[in-house]
Amino acid sequence: MNWSTIKLIFRRELRDQLRDRRTLFTVAIMPMLLYPLMGMAMMQVAQFMRESPSRVWIVGEEKLPASPPLIVGGKFNPTFGSAESKLIELIGSEAGNGHFEALIQSATSSPGDSSSVEEILRQEMQKRKMDLAIFIPNKIQIPEGPDALEETVTGSSISPPATQVFVLADSAIDKSRIASERVNQILNQWSKEFSKETLVANDISASMIRGIVFTTGDVANKTGKQAAAWSKILPFIIMIWALTGAFYPAIDLCAGEKERGTFETLLSSPAARSEIALGKLLTVMTFSMATSFLNLLSMGVTGIFVLTKLGNGMGAGNALPIGIPPLTSIGWLLLALIPISALFSAVALAAAAFARSSKEGQYYLVPLLMISMPLMMIPMLPTAELDFGTSLIPVSGLMLLLRGLIEANYSDCLKFAAPVCAINLGCCWLAVRWVIHQFNSETVLFQASERFGIGAWLKHIMRERRSLPSLGSAILCGVVILVAKFFVGFAVTAPQNFSQFAFQTVIILVATIFIPSVMMALFLTRNPRKSLRLNGCKITMAAAAVLCAIFLNPAFTWLTGFIMHIYPPNGDILMLQEAVSKILGSAPGLWAILLVFALAPAVFEEIAFRGFILSGFQSLKGKWQPILLTSLMFGLAHGIIQQTIITFVVGMILGLIAVQTKSILPCILFHLTHNSLAVLLSQANRTVVEQSPVLRQYLYSTDGQNYQYATFPAILMSVVGVMLIVWFLQLDMKPSNRSAAYGSVPKLS
Amino acid sequence: MIHVRKLTKTYNDIQSGQFKALAGISFDAMPGQIYGLLGPNGAGKTTALRILSTVLKPTHGSAVVNGFNVNEQPEQVRRQIGFVSCNTAIYDRMTSWELVQYFGQLYGMPLDRLHTKMNALFDRFQMNEIRDVLCSKMSTGMKQKVSIVRAMIHNPPVLIFDEATSGLDILVAREVLKTVEQLRDQGKCIVFSSHIMSEVKRLCDRVAIMNRGVILAEGTPAHLAEKHQENDMEELFYQLISRSEAQLQAEKSAAVVTHNLTLPLAN
Repeated sequence: MNWSTIKLIFRRELRDQLRDRRTLFTVAIMPMLLYPLMGMAMMQVAQFMRESPSRVWIVGEEKLPASPPLIVGGKFNPTFGSAESKLIELIGSEAGNGHFEALIQSATSSPGDSSSVEEILRQEMQKRKMDLAIFIPNKIQIPEGPDALEETVTGSSISPPATQVFVLADSAIDKSRIASERVNQILNQWSKEFSKETLVANDISASMIRGIVFTTGDVANKTGKQAAAWSKILPFIIMIWALTGAFYPAIDLCAGEKERGTFETLLSSPAARSEIALGKLLTVMTFSMATSFLNLLSMGVTGIFVLTKLGNGMGAGNALPIGIPPLTSIGWLLLALIPISALFSAVALAAAAFARSSKEGQYYLVPLLMISMPLMMIPMLPTAELDFGTSLIPVSGLMLLLRGLIEANYSDCLKFAAPVCAINLGCCWLAVRWVIHQFNSETVLFQASERFGIGAWLKHIMRERRSLPSLGSAILCGVVILVAKFFVGFAVTAPQNFSQFAFQTVIILVATIFIPSVMMALFLTRNPRKSLRLNGCKITMAAAAVLCAIFLNPAFTWLTGFIMHIYPPNGDILMLQEAVSKILGSAPGLWAILLVFALAPAVFEEIAFRGFILSGFQSLKGKWQPILLTSLMFGLAHGIIQQTIITFVVGMILGLIAVQTKSILPCILFHLTHNSLAVLLSQANRTVVEQSPVLRQYLYSTDGQNYQYATFPAILMSVVGVMLIVWFLQLDMKPSNRSAAYGSVPKLS
Repeated sequence: MIHVRKLTKTYNDIQSGQFKALAGISFDAMPGQIYGLLGPNGAGKTTALRILSTVLKPTHGSAVVNGFNVNEQPEQVRRQIGFVSCNTAIYDRMTSWELVQYFGQLYGMPLDRLHTKMNALFDRFQMNEIRDVLCSKMSTGMKQKVSIVRAMIHNPPVLIFDEATSGLDILVAREVLKTVEQLRDQGKCIVFSSHIMSEVKRLCDRVAIMNRGVILAEGTPAHLAEKHQENDMEELFYQLISRSEAQLQAEKSAAVVTHNLTLPLAN
């Protein structure tokens, strides 16, 4: 790769884009003008904005007690909330609404029947005649006597208290909800005052119901509060503009150039495709970063100006919690902008390469926005925190890390900096590889305009299917499994006994994993048997797989314990575990548990993952890339993060065995043994272990219930397990064993 | 200079399955010679030229340009050629001077030598008046001139013109053809694709008439006229293409009949 050529292409593309008025407007002029204009508009609008009053109708106003007075001069008593009182307009008798009065009079003709009044109020509310209605069915007066006193102080009563004030609101309408908040504030204060007067009327000091006096303190300093406010806004702003800023240049540099016919001229120059791709990528990245930075700058300057003005207006006591962001936060943001711009630019450029025109380019980039938005929204959730699980999510992890760094919470967030950086840089690398691949693909660069039809497409798939699954069909199978498992998870109900549980588990495995993979092998490949790796294998390989699973079991048990330690399961998972162990108690025998937990997953999951999906990924170069991708899918299919990590590691070994032996039989045996041992270990109890001299040497328990491997035998077993993996690794190095791997397939000669 | 052997290019088409844009064509073009590729739209001319310029990879067969194989040494091949396409294909937001300089730099030319060469070419093509004009402000003829200068800047031994006069007015088209002749006289090997018979008759030393990815006839215009006993190039082209289309149609009908005969008879 010639960097001077990349630099030359980059400089030309940069100059070209800078001469494009549309790009300049989007990248520089719009952010420079947008925020000041928005700020101005906000301040202008704020001058004219006033809160609209809530319209409240009171029925039975005459039944209110004279003291404390709730209504004074046709308005709520300002003593119980002066601000709220001003914003409430009472309609009713004083407003002279004859229509309502007539209705109520007819409804209250039979004394004591409040249901008909409530019904009328409901109907009038639905007609939007008012925002809120208050109905006082019976006369309210200060209670006297010991019973009434007890009821006032403790709130308890021998008989259930009758409704004194009935408040009717419509929570589906904003105005009604606001009215409800305002009225409740006033009614609560009025109720407290009423209680006090009740005590006074009964010769008891009102201070008796004061309760516990508490005050709150805040350790956060001003900088900390400002950082907390900015830490949620700034990462989002920087990400969304980095993505938006990459869009237009990506379309113009790829689809636009195809449209203008200049792409072919460039491709026939000595510049290599990878150099062209990187030159263009650097240009898109520059514009992405510039857009993001200029938006941040413009928003910051406008924000500071507006906040200062608003803050001055509010006085020193009511200063806003947002001020100038800490300077270090700007540094962190600019540092994070480099990888994130690279990622978004590469993905945008690669997607834009599919398009034949600028207009078509926009269609390709909209889905990119739809995918990226949830990743940017996850860190905005109040419960989102940076932990091992979230650190593995691209973009979201980086945003959470940025949040922590802006809040100067270094000790908590820096321990996850390594996975965040690894994941995001890994995504960047994959995206850049994708761009280079797109620029090397004739199908992408010179695809002709075709009219799409489902029939023609299906015919095309059938006609073009190959002996083994393609990369696309492997990804499709994985995605179908993940989506099917997601929806089935919602559809199933909690099983009541073991037979229901077993039935559900097996059906889910068959429906979401086995059937999709087998159907795809049948319809998308010419050789389903080979695609599912349904080959025989030598007995030594099968035995080695079983032994490998046995000897590696202590290592997997340790790994599980370690993961559970650094990533403890939450309450839901613990409840699920408890429910499953209860159900297992009703199993007809150990054989049934092994059937459900060991045999069924071993067969169905291996056919799908080490069969169809791994065969598809093997169209990629090398041995490890397909194994890694299959294991990632295998891990993700298990849903729970702790299980995902463990199954990913197990999947790597299973993938290696499948690739080396070219058969899923050893994988099924490994999987079966691994799961069986996990079940047996969880079911081991004191009686069984104590009776067996072998088990006594290998297992120990601190509580007599949960058994673990003893340290020395476990280390020894793990070493043997690793040696067996090395044996599998050497299989493709020996020509004799290569033919042995195909042992059961007769050679045609 | 250019040796093409059994060159095949197959595309995957969603409607009709595999589509052969080139079905094993072979030809040779020599230095100081203009080799004409003639054919109707969809004959495979542009595909062949794209393979020669290494923009596309052949499915089968080989092509050697000035001693370099398009499959194995694509970068060296690109240094041997200058490619001029029908749609001028120049950057609108660059001046003619910037554009030619950019491509010269891509070919690795040192700036001093590049500027000397550029001055000479701009003088020769009377482009000094437009050297600082943005390409978007130029007429189509001007743009094509810039495109030719861009293709010639690194003095390539091979020049490929893909319907370079299409859409040009007669004055500019004549100027382009004159340039092509001058380049031939300088000893360059030129591949010239067109469907304008008068151009081909005037310029080409050898001609290949193509239809549906195959070469129907190949040789000097005089040799073709003698072989097919037709002096009018346009008439000769028409007859060959019509005959090829009729033959294809007959083959298709025969295939349908054979297919129907093999089906069991319905009661």
